[in-house]
Amino acid sequence: MDFTLSNEQRSWQMTARKFAEEEIRPISVERDEISDPRETFDWEIIKKGSRLGFRTMAVPKEWGGHGTDFVTQALVMTELAKADSAISKTFSQCWKWSHLIAATCTDEQKRRFLQPFLEDDTYLLGKGISEPSAGSDNRLPPADDPKAGLKLRAERHGDEWILNGEKCFIANASVGKLFFIDARTDPNAPLKQGTTMFLVPRDTPGFRIGKVFNKSGWRFYQNGEMIFENARVPHANVVGPVNGSDMKTQQAGDRTGGDLFGDLELAANALGVCDDACGMALRLARTKKQGGRLLFEQQVVQLKLNRMHLLTEALRSFVMRVAWEHDHKLHSANPGLCMNFSTDVIQEVSELNLELHADAGVMEPRADKLVRDAIIWSHLAGDSVQRMKTTRRLAK
Amino acid sequence: MYNLQLSPEQLEIRDTVRDFVTEEVKPLALRPERLEARTRPLLSDVLDKASQLGLRTLALSEDAGGAGVDTLTSCIVTEELALGDPDVAAVLARTSTLAHALFDRLMTPEQTARFLPPFLADDRYHLALAQLEPDRDAALGIHYHRPETSEADVKTTAVRAGDAWVINGVKDRVANAPLAGLFAVEVNSGPGGTSMLLVPRDAAGLSVRESDHSRHFHHGVCGELVFTDCQVPAENLLGPEREDALGGADAGRDAPLDQALNLGIGRAAYEAALEYAQLRVQGGRRIIEHQAIGTKLAEIAVRLEVARTVIWQAAWACDHPEAFADRSLPDLPLTRIAKVYASEAIYHATKDAAECFGAMGVMRDMPLQKYVHDALVCLHAGASNSDAKLRIAEALAGYRRPARPAALAAE
Repeated sequence: MDFTLSNEQRSWQMTARKFAEEEIRPISVERDEISDPRETFDWEIIKKGSRLGFRTMAVPKEWGGHGTDFVTQALVMTELAKADSAISKTFSQCWKWSHLIAATCTDEQKRRFLQPFLEDDTYLLGKGISEPSAGSDNRLPPADDPKAGLKLRAERHGDEWILNGEKCFIANASVGKLFFIDARTDPNAPLKQGTTMFLVPRDTPGFRIGKVFNKSGWRFYQNGEMIFENARVPHANVVGPVNGSDMKTQQAGDRTGGDLFGDLELAANALGVCDDACGMALRLARTKKQGGRLLFEQQVVQLKLNRMHLLTEALRSFVMRVAWEHDHKLHSANPGLCMNFSTDVIQEVSELNLELHADAGVMEPRADKLVRDAIIWSHLAGDSVQRMKTTRRLAK
Repeated sequence: MYNLQLSPEQLEIRDTVRDFVTEEVKPLALRPERLEARTRPLLSDVLDKASQLGLRTLALSEDAGGAGVDTLTSCIVTEELALGDPDVAAVLARTSTLAHALFDRLMTPEQTARFLPPFLADDRYHLALAQLEPDRDAALGIHYHRPETSEADVKTTAVRAGDAWVINGVKDRVANAPLAGLFAVEVNSGPGGTSMLLVPRDAAGLSVRESDHSRHFHHGVCGELVFTDCQVPAENLLGPEREDALGGADAGRDAPLDQALNLGIGRAAYEAALEYAQLRVQGGRRIIEHQAIGTKLAEIAVRLEVARTVIWQAAWACDHPEAFADRSLPDLPLTRIAKVYASEAIYHATKDAAECFGAMGVMRDMPLQKYVHDALVCLHAGASNSDAKLRIAEALAGYRRPARPAALAAE
């Protein structure tokens, strides 16, 4: 057992910490409070972070990226999320899909898409899976209902595929330049055997972004609808085999990250929010007085601080273990368990932080923001579907 | 005798209010622009209609022109109103409760003759109680189980000058302040003594400012009062029974209307989730038919039913104080107990209800995030649960803090 970080890992962590404290934190609450969900986004912070490597750090070195390992990625996500969870997620969303490009795209596709991604500070990535009537059904396809799941239709016409349908709740939809889109290419086959993944650039004819969703938390992080009306995608943009979208996690193991990176991502991000909440709560307890004495002197306050820190440190141990296991290609249910656990931890810790502030009569907008950000985990990382999906990995 | 049967009158009132909420409140309350918890304007027209229905004067005695309902009935009505709109419920509950306390119990006949007729005549005439002050530390906290008094002196002063009181100071977090025609104001009226003065809204030297909704854990509307040499007649001093009638003595047994309101929020979330779970199909069947969602809905129902039981018990106890004396009820601060349990249970219930909606549970154009927000506001409104637990513990131990100096009484 050795918990020390390498110099390179430490260096990424420090750069992220400095950028987060100096650039992200000052705009975090301000961006959160903007009421128009399209206006919460800020290209300047993306460009600044991109120049430091935070957009492209997961691209392998042989393709011109930084080729950071998963431990480094976890450290950076945590540091960025400590200043703003949603901004951290905007960056790491690009890593998720750059893992996917590196693992599943042909060299020709990599040349066409990884090159521009690396060169353009405003090139963001996204992936479209969910649809208005297909959420849980994509994550956990029901054995007794083969038609369930996404409905977006892709039909081949010569060298082109014609896509028709809608996606919703798609991250980075309104700001991304390239999307992975899962579409049904065999409507008569079950989801896993009848779905194909396509690379769909923003300027694809027949493809447009609909509304941008107005979320209560993670307000910086853009999330929108995608509308496909006879959208024309060249056959050269098919990722992997036709009717083989599922290879992204199944056959590819965790080479890609894919779902497995996504699990680590949410847990590492939650850890940053918890670090922030612990820091805020401890500062409050050591500066705010009640009855002439520091809050820290009170047993009930000490017990709450204890609970916040023990949960946060337990999550940190789990997150770093999962990152290490990713780097050593060890497969288990741990990434999923860690993600599920991070939901419980981020919510309890952020709620305790708000409680300490409210109890002290301090209205702290940032404490409220952390609670709203944390509730996002209920729908991404800790809902019953995500928990059962993890459990099924245990039985494999 | 143990009886949970509601009277025909209580059932009728509940049905009337439920219909009112379904027809008049929900269609407005669920409009997209009202779902943004941070910027929602008060539904003034609904308040007017509710007043015409008698809900502003619900607890005021029949002799004085109200409906004279008991605490339990007030709780039932508040729950139903909050199911539609917690702000409307909060404003009406506050005015109705204060109307009973002030007009039925505290005012002299002369005071009633001056203030009751304009109150009854105007649907928009509300009442407010001004006690809190900026930066005044009212928490128990460090003073738990210690003789020091937790409350610093009231800083708003009233000085007698001839036939008048001259008031100076600032009150904040005053519920109903922007709507109130009459304020009961706690003042420091002498060395260490506090009194309660009646201050009409139009008193010279009083200015009222509405507080930013998003910066307080508060339903309804609240505001700040600034008194600058504000003069009221000497006859506006309230009687000495005020501690009891206004919950000033704080035995943890006042009317649990805040929790009844919270219950309405929880029920709104529950009803939405139950309806959606019977419509939404995933995994080849309606989601309520999946164990995971079925269990979640069951847990929500369990929390709400248990919460209602403790809230109703506390309400019934308010209506039957003799039940403490004859040991039918435990000698405990039942309202405080109800608040701690219900506020935590209902917050969790709204979160679970939102989870049933997937990503839609966090969208601002959908009501679920509003229910979660509204329950969070209830969780942190007023005295904290941490403090409430300490006060319950003091009650369990039979700890009695030395009384504060006696207050001035009406002449």
